[in-house]
Amino acid sequence: MAELITALDLNFTVQHDEFSLSINEKISLSGITGIYGHSGSGKSTLLKVIAGLEKQAQGKVSLNNDELLNSETNIFVAAQERNIGLVFQNSRLFPHLSVEENLRYGQKRNKNGVLQFSEIVELTQLENLLDKPVTQLSGGEQQRVALARAILAEPRLLLLDEPLSALDDKNKIVLLALLEKVKKTLNLPMLYVSHSLNEIQQLADKLLVISAGKVSHHGDIHEVIHQLTTNNEILHQTSLSLTVKEHLPEYGLTSLVLGEQQIFIACDHEPNTEKQVRCIIAAGDISITLHEPIESSIVNHLQGVITVLGKIGPPDGSKAQMLITVNCSGQDFFVTITTWSAKRLSLTLGQKLFIQFKANAVRSLR
Amino acid sequence: MNNTHPDILALITTLKMAGLTTIILMLIGTPLAWYLAKMQSRAKVFIEALVALPLVLPPTVLGFYLLLVFSPQYLPGQLWQQATGQQLAFSFSAIVIGSVLYSLPFVVQPLQKAFEQLGDDLLEAAAMLGASAFDRFFTIVLPITKASFITAASLGFAHTVGEFGVVLMIGGNIPGETRVLSIALFDHVEAFDYAQAHIISISLVISSLVLLSLIYLLNRPSINKSLKSKRLSRG
Repeated sequence: MAELITALDLNFTVQHDEFSLSINEKISLSGITGIYGHSGSGKSTLLKVIAGLEKQAQGKVSLNNDELLNSETNIFVAAQERNIGLVFQNSRLFPHLSVEENLRYGQKRNKNGVLQFSEIVELTQLENLLDKPVTQLSGGEQQRVALARAILAEPRLLLLDEPLSALDDKNKIVLLALLEKVKKTLNLPMLYVSHSLNEIQQLADKLLVISAGKVSHHGDIHEVIHQLTTNNEILHQTSLSLTVKEHLPEYGLTSLVLGEQQIFIACDHEPNTEKQVRCIIAAGDISITLHEPIESSIVNHLQGVITVLGKIGPPDGSKAQMLITVNCSGQDFFVTITTWSAKRLSLTLGQKLFIQFKANAVRSLR
Repeated sequence: MNNTHPDILALITTLKMAGLTTIILMLIGTPLAWYLAKMQSRAKVFIEALVALPLVLPPTVLGFYLLLVFSPQYLPGQLWQQATGQQLAFSFSAIVIGSVLYSLPFVVQPLQKAFEQLGDDLLEAAAMLGASAFDRFFTIVLPITKASFITAASLGFAHTVGEFGVVLMIGGNIPGETRVLSIALFDHVEAFDYAQAHIISISLVISSLVLLSLIYLLNRPSINKSLKSKRLSRG
């Protein structure tokens, strides 16, 4: 795992009866790269190709110049020889083994042996579960064991295929925090597949979007989310990573730094101050006002400038909405308002105004 | 051998035949069942039917064709004779080969069902943790489907002990070679020696009952619970 991975080089097609996936992409691996797409878009198949579980793939796949697949020269490195980890949606723990035996299964077969068993057990908080049969674990515990088991095999790259989708919200938050911790503690690049943009937004630094079997976007997480927003491909939203300024426990609020301005978010517990808080604000939750709303219960109001004015929605006119990009202290915010409001306020490009939204409108999975 | 009671000799021959047959069946049946469980092509149905054939055919039909094939007039019988210097028909080897074919479905079917139930999920997970195919078979497949292996071996053994028609056709009735318990029983009945017939019959009934009870005990839900509850939790 000490080896520094430069790139995953993908150039392949998978053709099934009514489905095809065609990827030609270089992914530089560091931290977590999110892979987003609707179900059936091919994102899980992509992981299977990288893992070596999809035998129909034609083309080339290489990891750090190490060829894993080359159908021209008939190279197909078997899954067990690739040293790539995979955490599945269903944890796939071995039912005849205890938690500890499950964890040791991968560790025994790994040749690096750098990681301490106890260290990973502690990181994933499994100390009290080691002797338990895996069949007695809750869904959240099962996924933690599956994650620890994959980590202990010391893969070069860890693939996560919808690892939270079978969990309830409470367990999702626990596992997200754990993944965050793994990301910070271990130098382990991860590809994280999900159909939930919220999940990916919490963890990933980069985002790859797969649509109808092809890569449609690939880049910085916030930039890609904003591209998807302006292309009307997702619910219009602003994606932010901001530093914590101060926590106000008496009000259950935390303020975040945005240039010389600040944003308040609802937060019960004090976030780690070194940490960036990832959050999203739906465009429909932000409103526009021409004067600073000093006497308002809405805590967040930011000064900004309109940089883009665009019509969205059905073309019949009456129901059409405007998607407005407002730049506040260098950060783009996306706002949707009705065309009627836009006309009434006579909004123009370059106009200075205020956007406002409630603290509760700022959503974070933690 | 001379002072051994003929029925004891028949018992020994039966156990030897059934034991050897079971070993061969496990060696052939396991890969065959695995192949069938993973097979996608349409030929699967045909091979399944072929394996199941002894379940429906009168054993004498199988015995009749084997008798022909084993005889020196046909190639398999000829080759055998050239290789071993002995005739295949009416030999111990003949009844073992016959038994393997006759009991094949009893071994293949429970194993195939177990492999199908096991699916690919856990095997893929094991591969991702670095386990080779061989490794996966011994660390995942075998421990999880252990009960089915014991069932398959027991059914194969019990069914071979109980066979009559095939042995009669291709084995004849050679003491110490092909005279098994079911044939000995038939002899006693033909000779109106009902007392001896009773002894053999009741022993077979009791030992079969004990063996089958053990198989069912082994396959009780409590033993397989771990795997099943695992499946449920996957929802």
